[in-house]
Amino acid sequence: MIVLNKNAFKLPRVEKEKFVNLLRLGLEYNRDKNVYLIKSYNNIEKLMDTISSILGVEVVFLQNCIRCGKDFPCKECNYKDLCATKNLPFSCVCPQCLRNMKPKQDTLVDF
Amino acid sequence: MQRNESLWVEKYRPKKKEDIMGNEEAKELFVEWLKNKRHTKKAVLLYGPPGVGKTALVNAVANEFNYNVIEMNASDTRSEKAINLLAKPATSYTALDNFTKTKETKGNVLFLDEVDGIAGNEDRGGVNAIIKIVEKSLVPVIMAANNPEIDKLRPLKKVCLLIRFQQVRIPLVIALLQKICITENIKAEFEALERIAQNSRGDVRSAINDLQSLSEENHILTIQDTIILNSRNKDISMDDTLRGFFSAQSIAEASNLLRYSNVDYDEFILTVSDNLPKRYSNNEELSCAYDYVSQADVFRGRVGFENWHLLKYFYNSLAQAAAVNPNSYKPFTFITPPIKIITLFWTKSKRTILGNICNKIGVKCHVSQDKAKSEFVPFIKSMLDKKKAHPILAWFNFTAEEVNFLNEMKRF
Repeated sequence: MIVLNKNAFKLPRVEKEKFVNLLRLGLEYNRDKNVYLIKSYNNIEKLMDTISSILGVEVVFLQNCIRCGKDFPCKECNYKDLCATKNLPFSCVCPQCLRNMKPKQDTLVDF
Repeated sequence: MQRNESLWVEKYRPKKKEDIMGNEEAKELFVEWLKNKRHTKKAVLLYGPPGVGKTALVNAVANEFNYNVIEMNASDTRSEKAINLLAKPATSYTALDNFTKTKETKGNVLFLDEVDGIAGNEDRGGVNAIIKIVEKSLVPVIMAANNPEIDKLRPLKKVCLLIRFQQVRIPLVIALLQKICITENIKAEFEALERIAQNSRGDVRSAINDLQSLSEENHILTIQDTIILNSRNKDISMDDTLRGFFSAQSIAEASNLLRYSNVDYDEFILTVSDNLPKRYSNNEELSCAYDYVSQADVFRGRVGFENWHLLKYFYNSLAQAAAVNPNSYKPFTFITPPIKIITLFWTKSKRTILGNICNKIGVKCHVSQDKAKSEFVPFIKSMLDKKKAHPILAWFNFTAEEVNFLNEMKRF
């Protein structure tokens, strides 16, 4: 399994057809830094499948917590089995931040 | 406590784009499009499941950037005439627009909600009218749809920038529910909010409605109170179902996914069958998986159109095929639709011609089409090869296309 960051990641050199396909699916290539970044999220699942088939291993993206700004993987989340966007690069709330919202006394929230 | 005066979905309707939970990328893209005066595409189509913030985003951003929203939704008749009556003046006459433009307002945006619902006689010509308006519009045109894949919207998609909305993630829904609980001064167990969020399956609107209805009856919201909530079925596309199915880590996970998905079972089982060799490289695992698929196929046959109580056995058998060796999963590109359906599609014209030939033989020789196909066509083909079939071809009244087809036919 390879963990990627949506802001910039490197891929091995690919054939022209595959490269064009990657760009069509929503990637952008930065020639100066030799990195890819995600421009469109409309075909994100197909994009992940294509990247996985290029690398030959499962690819997962890091999640960004909207509370603390920290990057974290989906495997830490309690709801990963129910999530329709598992491992896709979207914002979320990390388990720590979600846990901190829990009350300390018993399980009852008294706001 | 006076907290039930209005609907919370209205009360907590986002005022700013930051108030909308999730879909950050879609929000950014939409704002960027709206800010950019020289749009590469004149219209934008926001699409995604219900309750994820499409309409809320349009209203919130319009409010934030001081646009007047001229809206048509599913409750309006959206025929060509009705659209032209409302939308054309709003999008064509800049003089009126400039007149209303002040320091406070930037002008109009036309918002057509639930465009995938434009259907039937009442809305005749609606999509074509929208396309014409988009082409000539002087103001931004925004549309929203749950399912953009319907054929009717295909021409519309060509003139629009497409922005996809995803289901809102469960932690984000929980965070929102907690915020509402704080404002409404409600006591709630974390597990109860967790259950409401899980049950909503990414639909924020339904989660807020559930929270309101449950908290109306209960002074303190506990996990016990949420038992009455019914699970909401969501449409999961064929691609998503396949992806989830093949990457499932357990039988339960694969079985649950099938339960929630609304894919056509016959098409799904064919697609699974075609894709299994890509999923399992080990022959023993592949053979084992095919055994389970074959079992599932038997159960599918028994379910038919009435014995739906047997569907759980179908789910379980098929789920076992996905979980023969969960650790061996490596992502791959799916074959969709199944090869059988692709083949039928490609051979449709040939089958139609053969059908016509058999029909003509059937009429002249008083035989069934099947008999004509199996017993007559091979002989005619053989006579054609020996160039002795002219009188017969004339008698059957075959067209040039049908004769060509018989000439080029390879196997029987």
